[in-house]
Amino acid sequence: MTVTDQSQQPTATKRRSAATDKKKSSGRMMILGFLSPTLLILIFMVAYPIISLIDYSFYNFSALNPHEGYKWAGLDNYTYLLSDKALWQRFIFTGKFVFVCVSLQMIIGIFVGYQLQKKFKGRDVIFTLLMMPMMLSPVVVGFLWRYMLNSEWGVVNYLISSVGLDKVSWLSQTTPALFAAAAADTWMWTPFIILLATAAFRGIPDTIYEAAEVDGASAAYKFFRLTLPMSAPVLFIALILRLIDSFKQYDLFFALTGGGPGSSTETVSFAVAKTAFNYFYTGEASALAVILLFIIIGLSMILVRHLNKMGDKY
Amino acid sequence: MAAVTQPRSAYLTRWFILALLAAYTFYNLGPILWLLVSSFKGRADLFAMPPVWIFDIDTSGYESVFGVGAAAGTASAYGVVDALINSVVVSSIGTVMAVFLGTLAGYVCSRYDFRGKGDFLFFVLSTRMLPPVAVLVFYHLMFARLGLADTRTGLVLVAIFANVGLATWIMKGFFDGVPKEVEQIAQVNGYSRMYAFIRLVVPMVRGGIAATAGFCFIFAWNEFAFASILTTTKAKTLPVKISAASGATGIEWTQIMSAGVVLIIPVLIFFYLIRKHLLMGMTFGVLGRS
Repeated sequence: MTVTDQSQQPTATKRRSAATDKKKSSGRMMILGFLSPTLLILIFMVAYPIISLIDYSFYNFSALNPHEGYKWAGLDNYTYLLSDKALWQRFIFTGKFVFVCVSLQMIIGIFVGYQLQKKFKGRDVIFTLLMMPMMLSPVVVGFLWRYMLNSEWGVVNYLISSVGLDKVSWLSQTTPALFAAAAADTWMWTPFIILLATAAFRGIPDTIYEAAEVDGASAAYKFFRLTLPMSAPVLFIALILRLIDSFKQYDLFFALTGGGPGSSTETVSFAVAKTAFNYFYTGEASALAVILLFIIIGLSMILVRHLNKMGDKY
Repeated sequence: MAAVTQPRSAYLTRWFILALLAAYTFYNLGPILWLLVSSFKGRADLFAMPPVWIFDIDTSGYESVFGVGAAAGTASAYGVVDALINSVVVSSIGTVMAVFLGTLAGYVCSRYDFRGKGDFLFFVLSTRMLPPVAVLVFYHLMFARLGLADTRTGLVLVAIFANVGLATWIMKGFFDGVPKEVEQIAQVNGYSRMYAFIRLVVPMVRGGIAATAGFCFIFAWNEFAFASILTTTKAKTLPVKISAASGATGIEWTQIMSAGVVLIIPVLIFFYLIRKHLLMGMTFGVLGRS
């Protein structure tokens, strides 16, 4: 009896306080006053630009001479872009990059995270050290890897040749450049997966493993049948966030490959920037940006729906 | 027989796992060490093949970064000091403003139920997903029209918008951790909601505010896409300045390495201070609430 009384009391007070809060007009003033600055900034910096972008995407004009031509183009920008083979190349490259680096990050991250959840001496120090790469500036990361991947004096080729393999000219060939970019992105973002994976693994109660051990389950069984399914909701968040971030990757390529060789390592983001700020085809760039936004919004919707399903955790 | 092979294969598996972990640790930490070592190398040592491990410490990269020593007043002086000041000003003001606004919004979202709260929180979350180049197409025009192009003010505005969402979500999490009884007791004793917020609740989440500020500062400090398009000369930040060292005349590696170290040192200091809140900060406060 006493136990039920104690557990019910806090919820009752909470409900009562929420009811009184709603009635008070001072509460409404506080909500308005506290939210409006943030809301205004976001409307000005996010909503307004996106609406303008959609508007621009139907016009044929250049930022260089905005007074001259705001020619209505209808869907011309879109039809031109979608029939442009070069643009499809960007999408294919971006897709390949996303696939390679996100799968590498998930596999390595889950493996390392699984090993790091076991307690051992110095674990926290190693864990913190391993987290460093994801906090660094992508520009520095890009240049650092560009330095290390140089075909003649790069340390990576030195290590490769010291093992007896042939040197690779990483950044001047299309396929090696893809893997070079994936290696740099994986270097930077695997820690993120490790971080989320260890958190998910630690959330699994020990009693479940103990029960499995009593039943004589193997290590592989425990990992694939218990650990992975039970941490799937968090790992899914990690996956979607990485998909979104690597899909819009721009900084890293800017510093690492500069889009080259040729234009073979240009991501979709890179193409938007090039169209808008090198060629100044503002209308076309807006249309491409809108396409990019729709893909990102689609991925975000999956994430949001997933978060809603997870319920009280978020 | 079986009793002997069983532990032996387990032993091998353990060594195999350890070897893989060691390889990953090498891959993870090696590049950072290599950056630190290389930043003290002179031009000849920087391009030596095979790479040299023992070399004369050469600080010419750092000298040209700060425009001191042999590089003082010369054309090769990299002029990073101005960019460094821009970076410090933009990131600090942007962080303070974003954390201030995020604290207010986070508090209201934690304590009140109001119509459109879910929509507001997702609108705020969208800043995490937004590809910078998409809005940049428009910012480029808008900033020119408003006279914000190539100004610190413009970049501060960007830093606020880019981080206020993060600050809101993280601070909401910290406020959720403060019992609602705090305000109730204050109201019973005749204090206003505002007084309770400023004098009682905010001091209770001081640690959270500091962590939030740490994240906002790191993200604002590292920000590149916006700064590279919206600045041309005066307002260049350090990451933009670093990228500018790769020009038509080739890449100034000594300067890039040294400037890179200068750029990551503050990040590593802040990273060390906020390491306990990493999960929350990196997932927009979606996971790892404290």
